[in-house]
Amino acid sequence: MSLPVLVVDDSGMSRKLTIRALPKEWDIEISQAANGFEALEAYHDGKAHVMFLDLTMPGMDGFEVLETLQREGLDCFVIVVSADVQPEAEIRAKELGAMAFIRKPINSEKVIEILSEYGIYEH
Amino acid sequence: MSIEPYSEDQRDALQEITNIAMGQAGSSLAQLLDVFVVLSVPRVRIVEVDSVPESVEEMVEEADCVTVARQAFYNNLRGETLVIFDHRGCKDMADLMGHDGSLDENAEEELILDVSNILVGAVLNGLGEQIETDFGFTAPNIMARSVPVDTVLSKETLGWSHALFIEVNFSLEDRGFKCHLIMLMPEESIELMRQSLDKILESF
Repeated sequence: MSLPVLVVDDSGMSRKLTIRALPKEWDIEISQAANGFEALEAYHDGKAHVMFLDLTMPGMDGFEVLETLQREGLDCFVIVVSADVQPEAEIRAKELGAMAFIRKPINSEKVIEILSEYGIYEH
Repeated sequence: MSIEPYSEDQRDALQEITNIAMGQAGSSLAQLLDVFVVLSVPRVRIVEVDSVPESVEEMVEEADCVTVARQAFYNNLRGETLVIFDHRGCKDMADLMGHDGSLDENAEEELILDVSNILVGAVLNGLGEQIETDFGFTAPNIMARSVPVDTVLSKETLGWSHALFIEVNFSLEDRGFKCHLIMLMPEESIELMRQSLDKILESF
């Protein structure tokens, strides 16, 4: 079965860039969400074993998504992809359960490095 | 003169590259003040210049007493940036820089100019990197000091017909501090920006 991967960003362009940075041979089923509410909905529909999550979004932002996942004890491998390059943003995201933090603009080397490190994708 | 609005894709691309530039500016501000800066989604739109003063008023909540630093930028894209601080923001900033509210007028102006320059420099660098342009920009000057926001700009200030209006907001956690950075660009820059955005969109 393909791995359900969710890409969350309010920008369509940014979602495309993230999807393009994913390994081509990775056996996944990609879904997209434009804000935190949609992300949690997709999670509950089983579409997010791995989540690429933007932080700055209207409505419900990425920090709130992380808080919700943590509070509800939900199981999802979250990689934050954000333009917020404050070191503190990364620290907070990781405290809230994010496994990795990628600074925008995203590049595929970084994605592969993280996925390989956690054994999610072997190339 | 009429200006074609940006397409949804163009607007989205501009908002996202602004978002990345804003992240770098926010990080510089965080470093300077040694606090966490809360970023919000930037807004981009094309407006008639007549409505710019109104748009600025809408953006600033504490509108009775603002201080504004203005800078011009140029190269093939040109325009103006305004960095707007409300009264509370000026005070918070002075406190954070260790002045305990005892900052005299000159020192406060200097701080505002420094912060404006840091934010504008970072945003322009960030944007420039992504659209492959080097911006030049002037030193900031205080355009308005402790005045109601509706007196900052008049319809004649810019002398254009339309403006690309880019709005970025920075707030500080646990403080009232808010500062607004506005970039305004005239008609020909709106078109040049459109070409740059199309180039980015075509690249994938």
